[in-house]
Amino acid sequence: MTPFFQLDTLSLLFVALIVLGSVPNLFYTAGYLPHIQRKTHFLVHYFAFIGAMIGVVTANTPMAFLFSWEVMSLASWQLILTEGKNRQEGLTTRKAARFYFFMTHFGFVFLLLFFLIASQSNLDLPFSEMALSIQAFPYAWLLFLFLALGLFSKAGVVPLHVWLPYAHPAAPSPVSALMSGVMLKVALYALFRFLFETLHPWPLAWGVTVLLLGSFSALVGVLYALTERDIKALLANSSIENIGIILMAFGMGMIFDTLSLPHLSSFAFIAALFHIFNHMSFKSLLFMGAGNILHQTHTKNMELFGGLIKSMPITAWTFLIAALSISALPPSNGFISEWMLFQSMMASQAFTDITLKLALPFAMFSLAMTSGLAIATFVKAFGITFLGLNRSENAAHAKEVNVLMMSGLLLMTGVLIGLMLWAPAFLKLLDGVVYSLNGQRIAADLVPTSFSIHAYNPGAVISPFWLLIGLIALTSLLVWVKSQLKLQTRRSHTWACGNRVQAVNQYTAAGFAAPLRRYFQSLYQAEERIESQAQSVHIEDPLPDDAPHFKKGQHHLIIHPLFERSLYHGTVQLLKRISFWIYHWTHYEKFRYTYFILVLLILVLLGYRLGVTD
Amino acid sequence: MTFSTLSLYILTLILLILLAPALTGFIKALKMYWLFKRPVSIWQGYRDFNKLISKESVVSQEASAMTTIAPYLVLSPLLLILFFLPPVTQGAFYLNVVDAFTITGLISLSAFFLMLLGMDQGSAFGGMGASREAFISALVEPAMILNIFAISLMAQNIGISSAAIHLAHHLPEEHLASFLFAGISFFILLIAENGRIPVDNPETHLELTMVHEAMTLDLTGWKLALIEMASSIKFMIFASLFVTLFLPFGYDLPVALAFLIFLLKLLAVAITVAWIEVNTAKLRLFKVPNLLGVAIVLAFLSLITFYVT
Repeated sequence: MTPFFQLDTLSLLFVALIVLGSVPNLFYTAGYLPHIQRKTHFLVHYFAFIGAMIGVVTANTPMAFLFSWEVMSLASWQLILTEGKNRQEGLTTRKAARFYFFMTHFGFVFLLLFFLIASQSNLDLPFSEMALSIQAFPYAWLLFLFLALGLFSKAGVVPLHVWLPYAHPAAPSPVSALMSGVMLKVALYALFRFLFETLHPWPLAWGVTVLLLGSFSALVGVLYALTERDIKALLANSSIENIGIILMAFGMGMIFDTLSLPHLSSFAFIAALFHIFNHMSFKSLLFMGAGNILHQTHTKNMELFGGLIKSMPITAWTFLIAALSISALPPSNGFISEWMLFQSMMASQAFTDITLKLALPFAMFSLAMTSGLAIATFVKAFGITFLGLNRSENAAHAKEVNVLMMSGLLLMTGVLIGLMLWAPAFLKLLDGVVYSLNGQRIAADLVPTSFSIHAYNPGAVISPFWLLIGLIALTSLLVWVKSQLKLQTRRSHTWACGNRVQAVNQYTAAGFAAPLRRYFQSLYQAEERIESQAQSVHIEDPLPDDAPHFKKGQHHLIIHPLFERSLYHGTVQLLKRISFWIYHWTHYEKFRYTYFILVLLILVLLGYRLGVTD
Repeated sequence: MTFSTLSLYILTLILLILLAPALTGFIKALKMYWLFKRPVSIWQGYRDFNKLISKESVVSQEASAMTTIAPYLVLSPLLLILFFLPPVTQGAFYLNVVDAFTITGLISLSAFFLMLLGMDQGSAFGGMGASREAFISALVEPAMILNIFAISLMAQNIGISSAAIHLAHHLPEEHLASFLFAGISFFILLIAENGRIPVDNPETHLELTMVHEAMTLDLTGWKLALIEMASSIKFMIFASLFVTLFLPFGYDLPVALAFLIFLLKLLAVAITVAWIEVNTAKLRLFKVPNLLGVAIVLAFLSLITFYVT
């Protein structure tokens, strides 16, 4: 009897990920709990969710895996529904939960198909023995397809990503932090596990597919994050981006592995694993910060924030650290993993295949574009939310949240800074994990000293620790010079062309993203409408004399995401049309109806016949 | 690392910092001369700096702690880059502990805090400048990365200093087309990143056109001095990267001559920038991506010609 659950190196790493992600989250949840109405419901599903995630990463047989996977999906589905009974937001929450429920079971079907084929219908077969039974199956690409559909719908890879921007904002903030920071990574764990253990010698096309999907996800995710006004939806879209970046690293690793460049392959896989941890740290932190704001201002709309850095300093500065890291700015940990990915893409110069060699700069282009747009996105997210003047009454009344929630944030900041400062040591650890998968150790090349990280391209070296020291030293030097100058400081109002400084004059979130939105208009298909009210309203309701006399107006902006519009909506329309046509064609005449049934029957029998002979 | 190599390193460092305002001042003076105005002194930058660091500074009441710390974080990444720039002459010490990606990362770090600084005072201008800067720098990033890739292929090294030394000794004669494409692309980036015409006009204070100035509109005194210094140092960084990577001659000459040639090359870059500024009009904001698109395409061309020849 094989054990249902087993710990090996890879499982252990992901258990560590789940623990690191959930411990700060537990503190945060403890502080958040008084604001949840259905406490028992929430807590039961919360712990079931964490337990199920640990179950998924330690499972040893398909049965245990599928069971834990399903518990994880259902628990998170119920967690999204926590606020579902509220009168105002209940409808959107229930809609989001339904969407999530559908998408996650769409993936589950394909995972089930994968396991049924891979283990020859014996769901108690341990994973280690699955490779043998797979060799009997002639269409390995079909298995890859099932696995990809099953896992990518959970991880949120384009085009199966559409549920994320709905589900994450609808869930309570600690749950969004867990779902985005940890649950998406659990799907990637399964990718590591099954690709390495059961499908190992990959054809080149698989690696290229993963790389393409990754670069596509990264770009699409960040482009929609940029124009988002709901702060949690912005973060959810940015999760799509980061999953894309991880997949790009994973795809590079697969390509290098196929081309038998084991060192480079290990390097890329380590980059992928490192980015998994980094994304866990900063995305959890960002979601918790967004949760604090939501908790204080009772809105997710960024246009109503502003100036929160004064009333919520700790939230603001931790959010800033996470924003620096997610924008991949040195010396943060996010920069190190993206640096590693750039390095492994640059190593493509070793390829002999000229087509692949020429294709890689395009992948690099999309990664670079992604990181450029990520900077814009997080300048917007931080600047509009925390800087400037309060844009609404809600923002004006915001205060710092309670100690428990704060300690969750600070703990996660600790994780983030730890990942940055001890990156070399951590990479050594990850090297051990990758060694257990492909048997290639590169720690001696990657981290020869405990302060610097090296890549395989000549001259490629980075030392986060020394960069940080350098920045701190130069900044303190400048501060010292200033203190020697003994300058006087006076405070006065911001210059507003002679008018009083008003919050309405500030750039809005929509305005901030406007240049990029206009430039990528074909992707957004933004519907823009300005309703300016008539002058008479202005006369009936005169503004105070010192206020600038603007006409009242309203700006409506609706973005129709490309994939939802074309793929999902298109599919629905097509199915509707077909069923309508069939209905019309068969409904009024018995003969046509019978005829139709007969054709269907013949088709089914024929299909079965073909399937059996194969 | 001997005393003489180290002293050359420190000399270069001090020279780059000290000459940075003069270089931008020179461009300004030359432009005025060509426009038949009476040129300002090229030392005007130092006088402005002196004035700014000795006067009282006015801080916006609407601003937060971000305004206090951001100017430092705009300048210090750029100062840090100066330490990693390629050596000017043979025998000079150089630090080879970061690579080109880190340098672009540090430039982005500086731009990140500049954008936040712009949004902090609650003024409409700051947000506008930040929004435009975000737009431009998002499109600069891919061109920059591809450019790094191309030049590191030709120099067979991604560390900036080693790459420059390699290029100084082995001009990539078999990949000259590729080298040229990368050079033009980098020059466009130099113009775009430093906010020169045709991307941005450093002299204007008209809200329709300004990008960089809009973000610093509410700063005075010491803070403005830091930002002004950062922008002249940024130009110095780009100019010296351009001349050491794409005009790689004069490295092996005797020390004094090598320095002289380096300075002359910097002057040539400044003259070219001034010439472009005098002869072109500023592009509309939504035409800027076309120019940056040219830079991206040239960087791609550089990579492709490198691979196929």
